Amino acid sequence: MNLDKIAKSVRKRIFEFKTRSRAGHLASCLSCVDVLVSLYYDEGTVFNHEEDVFIFSKGHGSPTVYPILVDLGYIDKSELDKYCTPEGMLKLHADHTIPGCHFVGGSLGNGIGYAAGLAHGSKKDVYVMLGDAELYEGSVWETLIFTAHHNINNLNIIVDRNWMGILGKTEDLLKLEPLEEKFKSFGFETCTVDGHNFEELREVFSKKCDKPRVIIADTVKGKGVSYMEDVWQYHTIIPKEEELLKKAMEELS
Amino acid sequence: MTSQRDTFISNLFERAKLDKDICLISVDMGAPSLDIWREELPEQFFAAGISEQNAINFAAGLSASGKKVYVYFMACWVARCFEQIRYSCAMAGNPITVLGNSVGLGYTPAGPAHNPTEDIAYMRSLCGIEIYSPANNAVVKELVNLTCEEPKLRYIRFERSFPQELESFYLNSAVDSDFLNKGSHILTYDAGSGGEMSVCIFSSGYMLGRALQVAKRLESQGIDACVVDFFRVKPATLSNPRDYDHDLIVTLEEQTLPAGFGSSICEAFVDAGVKRNILRIGLPEKYIFENGSREHLLNTNGLSVETIYEKIINKL
Repeated sequence: MNLDKIAKSVRKRIFEFKTRSRAGHLASCLSCVDVLVSLYYDEGTVFNHEEDVFIFSKGHGSPTVYPILVDLGYIDKSELDKYCTPEGMLKLHADHTIPGCHFVGGSLGNGIGYAAGLAHGSKKDVYVMLGDAELYEGSVWETLIFTAHHNINNLNIIVDRNWMGILGKTEDLLKLEPLEEKFKSFGFETCTVDGHNFEELREVFSKKCDKPRVIIADTVKGKGVSYMEDVWQYHTIIPKEEELLKKAMEELS
Repeated sequence: MTSQRDTFISNLFERAKLDKDICLISVDMGAPSLDIWREELPEQFFAAGISEQNAINFAAGLSASGKKVYVYFMACWVARCFEQIRYSCAMAGNPITVLGNSVGLGYTPAGPAHNPTEDIAYMRSLCGIEIYSPANNAVVKELVNLTCEEPKLRYIRFERSFPQELESFYLNSAVDSDFLNKGSHILTYDAGSGGEMSVCIFSSGYMLGRALQVAKRLESQGIDACVVDFFRVKPATLSNPRDYDHDLIVTLEEQTLPAGFGSSICEAFVDAGVKRNILRIGLPEKYIFENGSREHLLNTNGLSVETIYEKIINKL
Protein backbone atom coordinates (compact mmCIF):
# COMPACT_ATOMS: atom_id res chain seq x y z
CA MET A 1 0.00 0.00 0.00
CA ASN A 2 1.49 3.33 -1.04
CA LEU A 3 0.74 5.51 1.94
CA ASP A 4 2.40 8.57 0.40
CA LYS A 5 0.09 8.31 -2.55
CA ILE A 6 -2.96 7.90 -0.32
CA ALA A 7 -1.93 10.86 1.80
CA LYS A 8 -1.56 12.99 -1.29
CA SER A 9 -4.98 11.96 -2.47
CA VAL A 10 -6.51 12.78 0.92
CA ARG A 11 -4.78 16.18 0.96
CA LYS A 12 -5.90 16.92 -2.57
CA ARG A 13 -9.52 16.19 -1.78
CA ILE A 14 -9.37 18.27 1.41
CA PHE A 15 -7.83 21.12 -0.55
CA GLU A 16 -10.56 20.84 -3.16
CA PHE A 17 -13.57 20.89 -0.84
CA LYS A 18 -12.04 23.51 1.41
CA THR A 19 -11.16 25.92 -1.39
CA ARG A 20 -14.48 25.33 -3.13
CA SER A 21 -16.53 25.97 0.01
CA ARG A 22 -14.08 28.47 1.48
CA ALA A 23 -15.05 27.09 4.86
CA GLY A 24 -12.12 27.16 7.24
CA HIS A 25 -9.11 25.50 8.79
CA LEU A 26 -7.44 24.08 5.69
CA ALA A 27 -3.90 24.32 7.09
CA SER A 28 -4.96 22.68 10.39
CA CYS A 29 -6.36 19.73 8.46
CA LEU A 30 -3.29 19.32 6.27
CA SER A 31 -0.98 18.93 9.25
CA CYS A 32 -2.71 15.84 10.61
CA VAL A 33 -3.39 13.95 7.36
CA ASP A 34 -0.46 11.54 7.67
CA VAL A 35 -1.34 10.51 11.22
CA LEU A 36 -4.83 9.59 10.08
CA VAL A 37 -3.60 7.85 6.95
CA SER A 38 -1.23 5.81 9.10
CA LEU A 39 -4.04 4.74 11.43
CA TYR A 40 -6.76 4.11 8.87
CA TYR A 41 -4.76 2.60 5.98
CA ASP A 42 -1.51 1.12 7.25
CA GLU A 43 -2.12 -2.51 8.10
CA GLY A 44 0.97 -2.41 10.27
CA THR A 45 -0.88 -0.36 12.88
CA VAL A 46 -3.21 -1.90 15.46
CA PHE A 47 -5.96 0.66 14.85
CA ASN A 48 -9.13 -0.95 13.52
CA HIS A 49 -11.67 1.58 12.37
CA GLU A 50 -14.51 -0.91 12.75
CA GLU A 51 -13.80 -1.65 16.39
CA ASP A 52 -11.78 1.25 17.72
CA VAL A 53 -12.85 4.84 18.07
CA PHE A 54 -11.11 7.93 16.73
CA ILE A 55 -12.15 11.27 18.19
CA PHE A 56 -11.08 14.73 17.18
CA SER A 57 -10.74 16.84 20.27
CA LYS A 58 -9.23 19.26 17.78
CA GLY A 59 -12.59 19.59 16.06
CA HIS A 60 -11.39 22.01 13.41
CA GLY A 61 -9.11 19.27 12.08
CA SER A 62 -11.95 16.78 11.79
CA PRO A 63 -12.71 17.31 8.06
CA THR A 64 -9.41 15.52 7.50
CA VAL A 65 -11.26 12.29 8.03
CA TYR A 66 -13.95 12.92 5.41
CA PRO A 67 -12.04 11.65 2.33
CA ILE A 68 -10.96 8.68 4.44
CA LEU A 69 -14.56 7.89 5.37
CA VAL A 70 -15.40 8.00 1.67
CA ASP A 71 -12.61 5.54 0.88
CA LEU A 72 -13.81 3.21 3.64
CA GLY A 73 -17.43 3.36 2.52
CA TYR A 74 -18.92 5.22 5.49
CA ILE A 75 -20.15 8.07 3.33
CA ASP A 76 -20.80 8.61 -0.33
CA LYS A 77 -18.18 10.29 -2.48
CA SER A 78 -20.69 12.96 -3.51
CA GLU A 79 -20.76 14.23 0.06
CA LEU A 80 -17.34 15.84 -0.43
CA ASP A 81 -18.82 18.01 -3.17
CA LYS A 82 -21.61 19.04 -0.82
CA TYR A 83 -19.31 19.91 2.10
CA CYS A 84 -20.80 22.78 4.11
CA THR A 85 -23.82 23.12 1.84
CA PRO A 86 -27.45 22.67 2.91
CA GLU A 87 -27.65 19.49 0.86
CA GLY A 88 -24.65 17.88 2.48
CA MET A 89 -24.03 16.11 5.77
CA LEU A 90 -20.38 17.09 6.15
CA LYS A 91 -19.76 20.12 8.30
CA LEU A 92 -16.87 22.35 9.21
CA HIS A 93 -16.72 20.47 12.52
CA ALA A 94 -17.57 16.79 12.31
CA ASP A 95 -20.21 15.52 14.71
CA HIS A 96 -21.86 12.29 15.81
CA THR A 97 -24.55 12.53 13.11
CA ILE A 98 -21.95 11.71 10.46
CA PRO A 99 -21.28 7.98 9.91
CA GLY A 100 -17.83 7.07 11.20
CA CYS A 101 -17.66 10.11 13.49
CA HIS A 102 -18.30 9.79 17.19
CA PHE A 103 -18.40 13.16 18.88
CA VAL A 104 -19.42 16.72 18.26
CA GLY A 105 -16.57 19.05 17.34
CA GLY A 106 -16.00 22.72 17.83
CA SER A 107 -15.21 23.30 21.49
CA LEU A 108 -11.58 22.69 22.38
CA GLY A 109 -10.32 20.92 25.47
CA ASN A 110 -13.33 18.64 25.83
CA GLY A 111 -12.92 15.74 23.42
CA ILE A 112 -10.08 14.33 25.49
CA GLY A 113 -12.23 14.00 28.62
CA TYR A 114 -15.07 12.51 26.62
CA ALA A 115 -12.61 10.07 25.02
CA ALA A 116 -11.31 9.07 28.46
CA GLY A 117 -14.85 8.33 29.65
CA LEU A 118 -15.66 6.38 26.52
CA ALA A 119 -12.43 4.39 26.75
CA HIS A 120 -13.03 3.55 30.39
CA GLY A 121 -16.69 2.67 29.97
CA SER A 122 -16.55 0.81 26.66
CA LYS A 123 -13.13 -0.86 27.04
CA LYS A 124 -12.59 -0.05 23.36
CA ASP A 125 -9.31 1.36 22.15
CA VAL A 126 -9.92 5.07 21.79
CA TYR A 127 -7.65 7.44 19.90
CA VAL A 128 -8.10 11.14 20.46
CA MET A 129 -6.34 13.90 18.57
CA LEU A 130 -5.61 17.25 20.14
CA GLY A 131 -4.12 20.30 18.57
CA ASP A 132 -1.04 21.64 20.30
CA ALA A 133 -2.62 25.04 20.86
CA GLU A 134 -5.57 23.20 22.40
CA LEU A 135 -3.23 22.30 25.23
CA TYR A 136 -3.73 25.80 26.59
CA GLU A 137 -7.17 24.67 27.75
CA GLY A 138 -7.07 23.84 31.46
CA SER A 139 -9.62 21.06 31.04
CA VAL A 140 -7.03 19.08 29.08
CA TRP A 141 -4.76 18.94 32.11
CA GLU A 142 -7.66 17.99 34.37
CA THR A 143 -8.21 14.98 32.13
CA LEU A 144 -4.52 14.12 31.99
CA ILE A 145 -4.34 13.90 35.78
CA PHE A 146 -7.48 11.78 35.85
CA THR A 147 -6.44 9.46 33.01
CA ALA A 148 -3.01 8.77 34.45
CA HIS A 149 -4.42 8.09 37.92
CA HIS A 150 -6.99 5.63 36.61
CA ASN A 151 -4.48 4.12 34.20
CA ILE A 152 -6.88 4.36 31.28
CA ASN A 153 -4.40 2.59 29.04
CA ASN A 154 -6.78 2.03 26.16
CA LEU A 155 -6.75 5.79 25.59
CA ASN A 156 -4.23 6.96 23.03
CA ILE A 157 -3.70 10.70 23.02
CA ILE A 158 -2.21 12.16 19.88
CA VAL A 159 -1.01 15.74 19.82
CA ASP A 160 -0.84 17.32 16.39
CA ARG A 161 2.25 19.36 17.21
CA ASN A 162 2.27 21.80 14.31
CA TRP A 163 3.77 24.47 16.53
CA MET A 164 1.11 27.05 15.76
CA GLY A 165 -1.88 28.80 17.15
CA ILE A 166 -3.98 31.24 15.18
CA LEU A 167 -1.69 34.15 15.91
CA GLY A 168 1.64 32.49 15.21
CA LYS A 169 4.20 30.14 16.72
CA THR A 170 3.24 28.60 20.03
CA GLU A 171 6.71 29.12 21.44
CA ASP A 172 6.55 32.84 20.64
CA LEU A 173 2.97 33.31 21.81
CA LEU A 174 2.89 31.20 24.96
CA LYS A 175 5.49 28.53 25.50
CA LEU A 176 4.36 24.90 25.61
CA GLU A 177 7.80 23.29 25.75
CA PRO A 178 9.14 21.10 27.21
CA LEU A 179 6.02 19.24 26.19
CA GLU A 180 7.23 15.68 26.27
CA GLU A 181 8.58 16.15 29.79
CA LYS A 182 5.26 17.62 30.89
CA PHE A 183 3.32 14.56 29.77
CA LYS A 184 5.94 12.23 31.23
CA SER A 185 5.73 13.96 34.57
CA PHE A 186 1.98 13.37 34.56
CA GLY A 187 2.66 9.63 34.26
CA PHE A 188 2.17 9.04 30.55
CA GLU A 189 4.15 6.85 28.24
CA THR A 190 5.27 9.60 25.90
CA CYS A 191 7.06 9.75 22.61
CA THR A 192 7.62 12.23 19.85
CA VAL A 193 7.52 11.09 16.26
CA ASP A 194 7.77 12.76 12.90
CA GLY A 195 4.08 13.12 12.12
CA HIS A 196 4.76 12.91 8.40
CA ASN A 197 6.95 9.82 8.47
CA PHE A 198 4.97 6.62 7.98
CA GLU A 199 7.77 4.42 9.26
CA GLU A 200 7.87 6.26 12.56
CA LEU A 201 4.10 6.42 12.80
CA ARG A 202 3.82 2.67 12.13
CA GLU A 203 6.39 1.97 14.80
CA VAL A 204 4.39 3.81 17.44
CA PHE A 205 0.92 2.74 16.30
CA SER A 206 1.87 -0.92 15.86
CA LYS A 207 1.73 -1.65 19.56
CA LYS A 208 -0.56 -1.17 22.48
CA CYS A 209 0.68 0.12 25.76
CA ASP A 210 0.02 -0.88 29.35
CA LYS A 211 0.09 2.76 30.39
CA PRO A 212 -1.96 5.60 28.98
CA ARG A 213 0.14 7.25 26.35
CA VAL A 214 0.69 10.48 24.55
CA ILE A 215 2.09 10.51 21.06
CA ILE A 216 3.39 13.87 20.03
CA ALA A 217 3.24 13.99 16.25
CA ASP A 218 5.66 16.64 15.10
CA THR A 219 3.97 18.14 12.07
CA VAL A 220 3.96 21.12 9.75
CA LYS A 221 0.87 23.25 9.49
CA GLY A 222 -0.30 23.44 5.90
CA LYS A 223 1.78 20.36 5.01
CA GLY A 224 1.77 19.45 1.33
CA VAL A 225 1.18 22.89 -0.12
CA SER A 226 4.59 24.56 -0.16
CA TYR A 227 3.47 28.15 0.13
CA MET A 228 1.16 27.34 3.05
CA GLU A 229 3.63 25.33 5.07
CA ASP A 230 4.53 26.90 8.39
CA VAL A 231 2.93 30.23 7.48
CA TRP A 232 0.71 31.21 10.36
CA GLN A 233 -1.55 33.49 8.31
CA TYR A 234 -2.85 30.42 6.52
CA HIS A 235 -4.75 29.36 9.61
CA THR A 236 -7.53 31.60 8.42
CA ILE A 237 -6.64 32.25 4.81
CA ILE A 238 -7.85 29.84 2.16
CA PRO A 239 -6.01 30.21 -1.15
CA LYS A 240 -8.15 31.88 -3.75
CA GLU A 241 -6.02 33.13 -6.63
CA GLU A 242 -5.98 30.91 -9.69
CA GLU A 243 -2.22 30.70 -9.67
CA LEU A 244 -2.11 29.52 -6.05
CA LEU A 245 -4.85 26.96 -6.60
CA LYS A 246 -3.04 25.62 -9.64
CA LYS A 247 0.27 25.39 -7.84
CA ALA A 248 -1.28 23.55 -4.91
CA MET A 249 -3.06 21.09 -7.17
CA GLU A 250 0.18 20.38 -8.99
CA GLU A 251 1.94 19.71 -5.72
CA LEU A 252 -0.86 17.48 -4.47
CA SER A 253 -1.31 15.49 -7.68
CA MET B 1 -33.87 14.58 59.07
CA THR B 2 -31.77 13.06 56.29
CA SER B 3 -30.53 15.60 53.80
CA GLN B 4 -31.79 15.51 50.24
CA ARG B 5 -28.30 14.69 49.05
CA ASP B 6 -27.94 11.71 51.37
CA THR B 7 -31.45 10.52 50.63
CA PHE B 8 -30.65 10.54 46.93
CA ILE B 9 -27.20 8.96 47.16
CA SER B 10 -28.23 6.23 49.61
CA ASN B 11 -31.24 5.27 47.48
CA LEU B 12 -29.11 5.36 44.35
CA PHE B 13 -26.57 3.16 46.12
CA GLU B 14 -29.21 0.48 46.65
CA ARG B 15 -29.94 0.48 42.95
CA ALA B 16 -26.26 0.62 42.04
CA LYS B 17 -25.64 -2.61 43.95
CA LEU B 18 -27.97 -4.31 41.47
CA ASP B 19 -27.08 -2.29 38.39
CA LYS B 20 -23.38 -2.20 37.55
CA ASP B 21 -23.97 0.50 34.95
CA ILE B 22 -24.72 3.09 37.62
CA CYS B 23 -21.65 5.27 38.26
CA LEU B 24 -21.15 8.21 40.55
CA ILE B 25 -18.48 10.85 40.04
CA SER B 26 -17.69 13.09 42.95
CA VAL B 27 -15.96 16.38 42.29
CA ASP B 28 -14.14 16.23 45.60
CA MET B 29 -17.37 16.28 47.55
CA GLY B 30 -18.08 14.00 50.46
CA ALA B 31 -21.33 12.83 52.04
CA PRO B 32 -22.05 10.36 54.81
CA SER B 33 -24.02 8.30 52.29
CA LEU B 34 -21.02 8.23 49.96
CA ASP B 35 -18.65 6.49 52.36
CA ILE B 36 -20.33 3.12 52.07
CA TRP B 37 -20.57 3.49 48.30
CA ARG B 38 -16.84 4.14 48.04
CA GLU B 39 -16.15 1.12 50.18
CA GLU B 40 -18.54 -1.34 48.61
CA LEU B 41 -18.73 -0.22 45.00
CA PRO B 42 -15.31 1.24 44.19
CA GLU B 43 -15.65 0.24 40.54
CA GLN B 44 -18.72 2.45 40.27
CA PHE B 45 -17.22 5.47 41.95
CA PHE B 46 -14.79 8.06 40.63
CA ALA B 47 -13.03 10.77 42.57
CA ALA B 48 -12.53 13.46 39.97
CA GLY B 49 -10.78 15.90 42.23
CA ILE B 50 -11.70 19.54 41.94
CA SER B 51 -12.15 19.44 38.19
CA GLU B 52 -15.71 20.08 37.09
CA GLN B 53 -14.87 20.29 33.40
CA ASN B 54 -13.17 16.92 33.22
CA ALA B 55 -15.81 15.36 35.47
CA ILE B 56 -18.56 16.32 33.03
CA ASN B 57 -16.59 15.37 29.91
CA PHE B 58 -15.61 12.03 31.42
CA ALA B 59 -19.23 11.49 32.49
CA ALA B 60 -20.39 12.21 28.94
CA GLY B 61 -17.98 9.60 27.58
CA LEU B 62 -19.07 7.05 30.17
CA SER B 63 -22.67 7.78 29.29
CA ALA B 64 -21.89 7.21 25.60
CA SER B 65 -20.59 3.78 26.55
CA GLY B 66 -23.96 2.92 28.11
CA LYS B 67 -23.40 3.84 31.75
CA LYS B 68 -25.90 5.71 33.92
CA VAL B 69 -23.77 8.52 35.21
CA TYR B 70 -24.28 10.92 38.12
CA VAL B 71 -21.93 13.81 38.78
CA TYR B 72 -22.07 15.26 42.25
CA PHE B 73 -20.71 18.65 43.25
CA MET B 74 -21.69 21.94 44.78
CA ALA B 75 -24.50 23.52 42.80
CA CYS B 76 -22.58 26.76 42.40
CA TRP B 77 -20.04 24.99 40.18
CA VAL B 78 -22.49 24.17 37.41
CA ALA B 79 -21.52 27.58 36.10
CA ARG B 80 -17.94 26.38 35.99
CA CYS B 81 -18.74 23.48 33.67
CA PHE B 82 -21.69 25.00 31.87
CA GLU B 83 -19.85 24.66 28.57
CA GLN B 84 -19.16 20.97 29.14
CA ILE B 85 -22.78 20.29 30.10
CA ARG B 86 -23.89 22.16 27.00
CA TYR B 87 -21.34 20.73 24.61
CA SER B 88 -20.52 17.21 25.74
CA CYS B 89 -23.96 16.35 27.14
CA ALA B 90 -26.80 18.48 25.75
CA MET B 91 -25.35 18.89 22.25
CA ALA B 92 -23.77 15.46 21.91
CA GLY B 93 -26.82 13.71 23.36
CA ASN B 94 -25.29 12.18 26.47
CA PRO B 95 -27.89 11.94 29.23
CA ILE B 96 -26.13 12.34 32.57
CA THR B 97 -27.59 13.50 35.87
CA VAL B 98 -25.95 16.50 37.51
CA LEU B 99 -26.43 16.59 41.27
CA GLY B 100 -25.92 20.12 42.56
CA ASN B 101 -25.80 20.42 46.30
CA SER B 102 -26.99 23.52 48.13
CA VAL B 103 -28.84 26.02 46.01
CA GLY B 104 -29.82 29.61 46.72
CA LEU B 105 -28.24 30.94 49.88
CA GLY B 106 -27.77 27.45 51.31
CA TYR B 107 -24.03 27.76 51.87
CA THR B 108 -24.32 30.96 53.81
CA PRO B 109 -22.07 32.35 55.30
CA ALA B 110 -19.66 31.16 52.61
CA GLY B 111 -20.43 34.18 50.45
CA PRO B 112 -21.79 34.65 46.94
CA ALA B 113 -19.25 32.41 45.17
CA HIS B 114 -20.73 29.43 46.98
CA ASN B 115 -24.35 30.51 46.66
CA PRO B 116 -25.85 29.97 43.21
CA THR B 117 -28.51 32.60 42.86
CA GLU B 118 -28.82 32.58 39.06
CA ASP B 119 -28.44 28.87 38.27
CA ILE B 120 -32.06 28.31 37.24
CA ALA B 121 -31.68 31.03 34.63
CA TYR B 122 -28.57 29.73 32.95
CA MET B 123 -29.27 26.04 33.33
CA ARG B 124 -32.77 26.25 31.95
CA SER B 125 -31.40 27.83 28.81
CA LEU B 126 -29.82 24.50 27.84
CA CYS B 127 -31.72 22.65 25.13
CA GLY B 128 -33.58 19.62 26.40
CA ILE B 129 -32.44 19.67 30.01
CA GLU B 130 -34.83 18.89 32.86
CA ILE B 131 -34.34 20.72 36.15
CA TYR B 132 -35.70 19.57 39.49
CA SER B 133 -35.79 21.53 42.70
CA PRO B 134 -37.30 19.20 45.30
CA ALA B 135 -38.58 20.30 48.67
CA ASN B 136 -39.28 16.87 50.00
CA ASN B 137 -37.51 13.55 50.43
CA ALA B 138 -40.33 11.56 48.89
CA VAL B 139 -39.75 13.49 45.67
CA VAL B 140 -36.00 13.00 46.00
CA LYS B 141 -36.46 9.23 46.28
CA GLU B 142 -38.69 9.15 43.23
CA LEU B 143 -36.11 11.16 41.32
CA VAL B 144 -33.69 8.28 41.88
CA ASN B 145 -36.14 5.96 40.13
CA LEU B 146 -36.78 8.42 37.33
CA THR B 147 -33.11 9.06 36.58
CA CYS B 148 -32.28 5.35 36.63
CA GLU B 149 -35.16 4.31 34.45
CA GLU B 150 -35.46 7.16 31.99
CA PRO B 151 -32.02 8.52 31.17
CA LYS B 152 -32.11 12.16 30.19
CA LEU B 153 -29.91 15.17 30.80
CA ARG B 154 -31.05 16.40 34.20
CA TYR B 155 -29.93 18.89 36.81
CA ILE B 156 -31.16 18.21 40.32
CA ARG B 157 -30.88 21.10 42.74
CA PHE B 158 -30.56 19.82 46.29
CA GLU B 159 -31.43 21.98 49.25
CA ARG B 160 -28.78 21.80 51.95
CA SER B 161 -31.49 22.31 54.52
CA PHE B 162 -35.20 22.55 54.09
CA PRO B 163 -38.15 23.27 56.33
CA GLN B 164 -39.25 20.07 58.00
CA GLU B 165 -42.93 20.94 57.87
CA LEU B 166 -42.85 20.45 54.10
CA GLU B 167 -42.60 16.71 54.59
CA SER B 168 -46.14 16.58 55.98
CA PHE B 169 -47.64 18.10 52.84
CA TYR B 170 -46.85 14.98 50.88
CA LEU B 171 -47.98 12.37 53.37
CA ASN B 172 -51.29 11.80 51.66
CA SER B 173 -49.90 11.77 48.14
CA ALA B 174 -48.49 8.80 46.31
CA VAL B 175 -45.19 10.18 45.08
CA ASP B 176 -44.58 7.99 42.06
CA SER B 177 -43.68 8.40 38.42
CA ASP B 178 -47.12 9.83 37.60
CA PHE B 179 -46.67 12.35 40.36
CA LEU B 180 -43.29 13.42 38.97
CA ASN B 181 -44.65 13.63 35.44
CA LYS B 182 -47.06 16.32 36.52
CA GLY B 183 -44.13 18.56 37.48
CA SER B 184 -45.96 20.42 40.22
CA HIS B 185 -48.04 19.68 43.25
CA ILE B 186 -50.65 21.79 45.03
CA LEU B 187 -49.56 21.96 48.66
CA THR B 188 -52.46 23.96 50.03
CA TYR B 189 -55.70 24.91 48.40
CA ASP B 190 -57.10 28.25 49.30
CA ALA B 191 -59.44 28.06 52.24
CA GLY B 192 -62.38 29.01 50.08
CA SER B 193 -63.35 31.42 52.77
CA GLY B 194 -65.08 33.53 50.23
CA GLY B 195 -62.48 36.24 50.50
CA GLU B 196 -62.80 39.00 47.96
CA MET B 197 -59.31 38.40 46.68
CA SER B 198 -57.37 35.27 45.86
CA VAL B 199 -53.67 34.60 45.46
CA CYS B 200 -51.76 31.58 44.22
CA ILE B 201 -48.07 31.30 45.10
CA PHE B 202 -45.78 29.22 42.88
CA SER B 203 -42.48 28.26 44.39
CA SER B 204 -40.08 25.37 44.95
CA GLY B 205 -37.47 24.04 47.37
CA TYR B 206 -36.61 26.02 50.44
CA MET B 207 -38.82 28.99 49.57
CA LEU B 208 -41.94 26.88 49.85
CA GLY B 209 -41.60 27.20 53.62
CA ARG B 210 -41.91 30.97 53.27
CA ALA B 211 -44.68 30.63 50.72
CA LEU B 212 -46.73 28.64 53.21
CA GLN B 213 -46.19 31.23 55.93
CA VAL B 214 -47.17 34.02 53.55
CA ALA B 215 -50.28 32.10 52.51
CA LYS B 216 -51.26 31.72 56.16
CA ARG B 217 -50.79 35.44 56.69
CA LEU B 218 -52.92 36.22 53.64
CA GLU B 219 -55.64 33.86 54.80
CA SER B 220 -55.63 35.55 58.18
CA GLN B 221 -56.45 38.79 56.38
CA GLY B 222 -59.34 37.22 54.50
CA ILE B 223 -57.45 36.69 51.27
CA ASP B 224 -57.76 33.23 49.76
CA ALA B 225 -54.30 31.80 49.12
CA CYS B 226 -52.90 28.57 47.82
CA VAL B 227 -49.37 27.30 47.33
CA VAL B 228 -48.03 25.17 44.49
CA ASP B 229 -44.74 23.28 44.60
CA PHE B 230 -43.02 23.37 41.22
CA PHE B 231 -40.54 20.63 42.06
CA ARG B 232 -39.79 20.46 38.35
CA VAL B 233 -38.51 23.84 37.39
CA LYS B 234 -37.95 22.95 33.75
CA PRO B 235 -40.11 22.28 31.95
CA ALA B 236 -42.41 24.28 34.20
CA THR B 237 -45.70 22.98 32.92
CA LEU B 238 -49.13 24.26 33.82
CA SER B 239 -51.40 21.30 33.24
CA ASN B 240 -54.41 23.55 32.94
CA PRO B 241 -53.39 27.20 33.08
CA ARG B 242 -56.98 28.42 33.16
CA ASP B 243 -57.47 26.72 36.50
CA TYR B 244 -55.22 29.36 38.01
CA ASP B 245 -57.87 32.04 37.89
CA HIS B 246 -56.66 33.89 40.96
CA ASP B 247 -56.50 37.64 41.18
CA LEU B 248 -52.76 37.37 41.50
CA ILE B 249 -50.21 34.69 40.65
CA VAL B 250 -47.04 35.09 42.69
CA THR B 251 -43.76 33.40 41.87
CA LEU B 252 -41.34 33.15 44.75
CA GLU B 253 -37.71 32.12 44.33
CA GLU B 254 -34.35 32.31 46.04
CA GLN B 255 -32.82 33.52 42.82
CA THR B 256 -32.32 36.82 41.09
CA LEU B 257 -35.19 37.50 38.75
CA PRO B 258 -33.79 37.76 35.20
CA ALA B 259 -34.69 34.60 33.30
CA GLY B 260 -35.37 32.69 36.51
CA PHE B 261 -38.23 30.54 37.76
CA GLY B 262 -40.72 33.42 37.71
CA SER B 263 -39.80 34.17 34.13
CA SER B 264 -40.44 30.57 33.17
CA ILE B 265 -43.92 30.75 34.72
CA CYS B 266 -44.65 33.94 32.79
CA GLU B 267 -43.55 32.15 29.63
CA ALA B 268 -45.82 29.21 30.42
CA PHE B 269 -48.86 31.48 30.73
CA VAL B 270 -47.96 33.46 27.62
CA ASP B 271 -47.38 30.30 25.62
CA ALA B 272 -50.76 28.95 26.77
CA GLY B 273 -52.40 32.20 25.69
CA VAL B 274 -53.71 32.82 29.19
CA LYS B 275 -53.52 36.36 30.55
CA ARG B 276 -52.78 36.58 34.23
CA ASN B 277 -51.68 39.14 36.75
CA ILE B 278 -48.28 37.88 37.82
CA LEU B 279 -45.92 39.18 40.49
CA ARG B 280 -42.35 37.84 40.46
CA ILE B 281 -40.57 37.92 43.79
CA GLY B 282 -36.93 36.95 44.24
CA LEU B 283 -33.55 38.19 45.36
CA PRO B 284 -32.31 41.64 44.41
CA GLU B 285 -30.00 41.69 41.40
CA LYS B 286 -26.75 41.78 43.31
CA TYR B 287 -24.22 39.45 44.93
CA ILE B 288 -24.83 39.21 48.64
CA PHE B 289 -21.67 39.75 50.68
CA GLU B 290 -23.34 40.31 54.04
CA ASN B 291 -22.80 37.92 56.91
CA GLY B 292 -25.62 36.08 58.61
CA SER B 293 -27.70 32.95 58.46
CA ARG B 294 -29.76 31.99 55.43
CA GLU B 295 -32.87 33.16 57.27
CA HIS B 296 -31.23 36.46 58.12
CA LEU B 297 -30.01 37.12 54.58
CA LEU B 298 -33.40 36.29 53.12
CA ASN B 299 -34.97 38.73 55.57
CA THR B 300 -32.52 41.50 54.77
CA ASN B 301 -32.81 40.97 51.04
CA GLY B 302 -36.49 41.41 50.49
CA LEU B 303 -37.64 37.87 51.19
CA SER B 304 -38.93 38.07 54.76
CA VAL B 305 -42.47 36.79 55.20
CA GLU B 306 -43.60 40.30 56.02
CA THR B 307 -41.94 41.87 52.97
CA ILE B 308 -43.30 39.21 50.65
CA TYR B 309 -46.74 39.72 52.16
CA GLU B 310 -46.52 43.47 51.66
CA LYS B 311 -45.42 43.13 48.06
CA ILE B 312 -48.44 40.94 47.39
CA ILE B 313 -50.84 43.30 49.14
CA ASN B 314 -49.46 46.26 47.23
CA LYS B 315 -49.93 44.45 43.97
CA LEU B 316 -53.47 43.40 44.86
